[in-house]
Amino acid sequence: MTASPGAAAEATGRGGGRRIALAAAGVTLAALALLVRGPGVSRDEAEAMAAAGRQAGVLLSAPAHPLRAAADADAAFGGPRPHPPLAETALGLVHASLAKAGLDLVAWRLGAVLFAAALSFVLALLGHDLGGAGLAVLAPLAFWLAPRHLHQGLLATPDLAEAAAWIATFLAWRRALLAASRRLQLRWIAAAAIAFGAAAAIRSDGWAILPLLAVHAGAVRLRTRRAIPALPAMAVVGPLVVLAAWPWLLRAPLARAPAAFFPLAAPAAWPFLGEVVRNGPLGPLYPLAVTALTLPAALLAAAAGGLVHAVVRLGGALRGGEASLEDELLLLLGALGPLGLAAAGLAPFAPGLRPWLPAMPFLALLAGRALLAAARTTWPARARPLAGALALLTLYPALRATIHHFPHGASAWNEIAGGAPGAASLGLARQDGGEAAAAVLAALAAHAPRGARVFWGAVAPGAVELYRREGRLRADLADAAGPEEADLAVVAVEGRPRELEARVWTAFRTARPVAGAYLDEVPLAHVYARPGAWR
Amino acid sequence: MPPQPRTPTPVDARPPRLGARIARRVRAALRDEASRRARQARDAAAWLWARRPTPLRGVAAAFAAAVAALGVWGILFQAGLPARLPAPLDWAAAAALLARDGRPGDAAVPSPAWAERTREVLPAQIPVLALPRLDREDLVGVRRVWLVALPDLPRAPWRAEIDLLERAARAEGPLRLGAIEVTRYDVAAPALPLAFLPDRLAAATVTVGDGRCAPDPAGAFSCPPPGAARVAREVRDVAGLARPCLVVRPDAAAGAPVTISFADVPMGRTLRGHAAAIPAPPGEGAAGAPLRAPLRLALQIDGDEVGSVELTAAGRWQPFRIDTTLHAGSARAVALLVTAAAPDAPAVCVDLVTLP
Repeated sequence: MTASPGAAAEATGRGGGRRIALAAAGVTLAALALLVRGPGVSRDEAEAMAAAGRQAGVLLSAPAHPLRAAADADAAFGGPRPHPPLAETALGLVHASLAKAGLDLVAWRLGAVLFAAALSFVLALLGHDLGGAGLAVLAPLAFWLAPRHLHQGLLATPDLAEAAAWIATFLAWRRALLAASRRLQLRWIAAAAIAFGAAAAIRSDGWAILPLLAVHAGAVRLRTRRAIPALPAMAVVGPLVVLAAWPWLLRAPLARAPAAFFPLAAPAAWPFLGEVVRNGPLGPLYPLAVTALTLPAALLAAAAGGLVHAVVRLGGALRGGEASLEDELLLLLGALGPLGLAAAGLAPFAPGLRPWLPAMPFLALLAGRALLAAARTTWPARARPLAGALALLTLYPALRATIHHFPHGASAWNEIAGGAPGAASLGLARQDGGEAAAAVLAALAAHAPRGARVFWGAVAPGAVELYRREGRLRADLADAAGPEEADLAVVAVEGRPRELEARVWTAFRTARPVAGAYLDEVPLAHVYARPGAWR
Repeated sequence: MPPQPRTPTPVDARPPRLGARIARRVRAALRDEASRRARQARDAAAWLWARRPTPLRGVAAAFAAAVAALGVWGILFQAGLPARLPAPLDWAAAAALLARDGRPGDAAVPSPAWAERTREVLPAQIPVLALPRLDREDLVGVRRVWLVALPDLPRAPWRAEIDLLERAARAEGPLRLGAIEVTRYDVAAPALPLAFLPDRLAAATVTVGDGRCAPDPAGAFSCPPPGAARVAREVRDVAGLARPCLVVRPDAAAGAPVTISFADVPMGRTLRGHAAAIPAPPGEGAAGAPLRAPLRLALQIDGDEVGSVELTAAGRWQPFRIDTTLHAGSARAVALLVTAAAPDAPAVCVDLVTLP
């Protein structure tokens, strides 16, 4: 049997795409692995690490002590705020396997870096499918060079894994739709179903992929009369994957099922344009405004142009033009779906871009595609150099901003906001949750007297313990329950009401810090000391 | 056709002068040049029009130009930011200036208010008031304000400057110290307190009904039974700002108000104060959320009630003012009574000051 010329060309193209995707994944893995020790640990990350540790502990102890593991499983996979555990379980297992080599923070975050590499791989593959080698290179760059995306790629939280699962599902769905053979189609249907199940087992908003892709299937069916067999497979396999990853649901399926669909966030609040954002639906403007104030301006313009480009092409496809309705609709659903879920309060409640992070790889794709299309249309004879120049002008400011803000990526705001100083004047959040306190650990190690008791304000106890195990925090420094019992106080400044800091001022009878961490003059953390407690 | 008679040449019809001829030639040359240029422009416009981009190409070019322009802006923004931030030397200069020229009664106001490195680097004897607006703040005890501004920062606000200009009798400066501008404002009508009652808590007596509350080593009063009412001098975050105040935790179960009595308080013409119910958990609750039951604060002078305030919502910094002209110039016993109707009433942050 000989392959047709079209299939051979497709196979060659796919091979090239795979090589670029592997290179993108390798570069992502290497770059992020070098940076994992940089950012501090936020409250959410500390909570995710604690849950991951419990889950991995149960799984690893199960072969030796099955009864005890079964007894502990309920607490490990449930807890006070039960949520889909797959990413945390994976992070816990990676940590458990690397912890034997003496790694701790790095071991936690290397699991996250693997998710990041997977995202790069899938993004490059989808980019190659949609726009060839240029888009396969450009899309991962457009995603990773945004300061907040890179920061998120370094954290042991489920958000980036969710973004990777979303885009993997969409890629598999598209390939299943366009597969040249029945065998290939079955393969991609299975991949789509498993990726969807993984997305739903990582975050509760992953379920939304199914209705989004049902809309896509409906539109395709209306237009081409083609049925998409991936949808029933996803509807069957997805829940099975969730149950396999989260057997906690099986104990009381009816009572526990809501936890799989609706996020149960801890009470949280952060400032946004002078107001305080609290648990609940974020509203349609909030995700758009945060995205507009965090993505580097040129990248933001490219992404916005990409969205418009996709809408125009979709309109053209509906009128019978040459654009692919399937692709345009798929990209728009991937980019706008997570934004809508966050606006409706169906995505986990978290600061920054995290609730709608799954939209960002799609926006990166759209941005890259718009740049390439603009270059091709503006100057067809010099399309490549023009595309290169445009890519450089788009990505270089983003790279520079990423370098400038590292390791405080969660404190990064774009040129429109006026950077960190402009954002502070606008009343925007300074950090995700106490992670910037890591920046004062060196000063604490240098100046704290031996055996001093330290009060940690707005810093997760799990983060402090991790810093201590890592050697970044001196082992002789003890934790104090309140500023009244402390010799020193480290307080993360988040831009919210600063009750904890006021308590420190009362207890220490001074409002004068002895050290601080600043980003472009914006305070991120302060250290206070009682008289004589700072050498 | 008969030949025309030749017209005789007039005697004064001489050939034009050299200057006129040159002017005529220059005019002609300019006219030719202008028409040539106009023709060239017309040709160029026609050439361009003939090669005008399609609407699609025009949109693509405009998009590419916009992205490129934003990219250049991003590069310039990042490159220019360090020059807009104060260097350590600038901060050292500002600190030295205030250490040299600062006096008792001075305060420093950073602008923008979040520029709190001022707390770390300015001399300890000059309190830092990190207030975004100064129009509604009492500035108790402040005679002069040093405005430490970072005017080159992106989105640097000007509200503090405007408020100070309105309240100042005189301004000196600004003095530029690198990226920092220091301006001194002499407050036109400083509110110089006769007594700031939270600072007199150590000498006060605190009672709940007949029960007397005992001071602890930290200076706070705890009332029987243990864990019930408590009074302390603290700094609390109220309405977004840190405020020194008396924090009174009332005890509804006791069936009597918490009474804080200050003896020999020097009186002026005004007793001014603010009160706020502290949201629970502190700093997290929604400011303005209604309380389950109102909290009542009453003020007595020599045992007579002279005013009262009712707090119905959490987190609002509610001002009040009592005319004490009758007692001006004397020392009186002042008592603050805090009554809660609900058993889980929040604590109250109260400041009280007597003014001339």
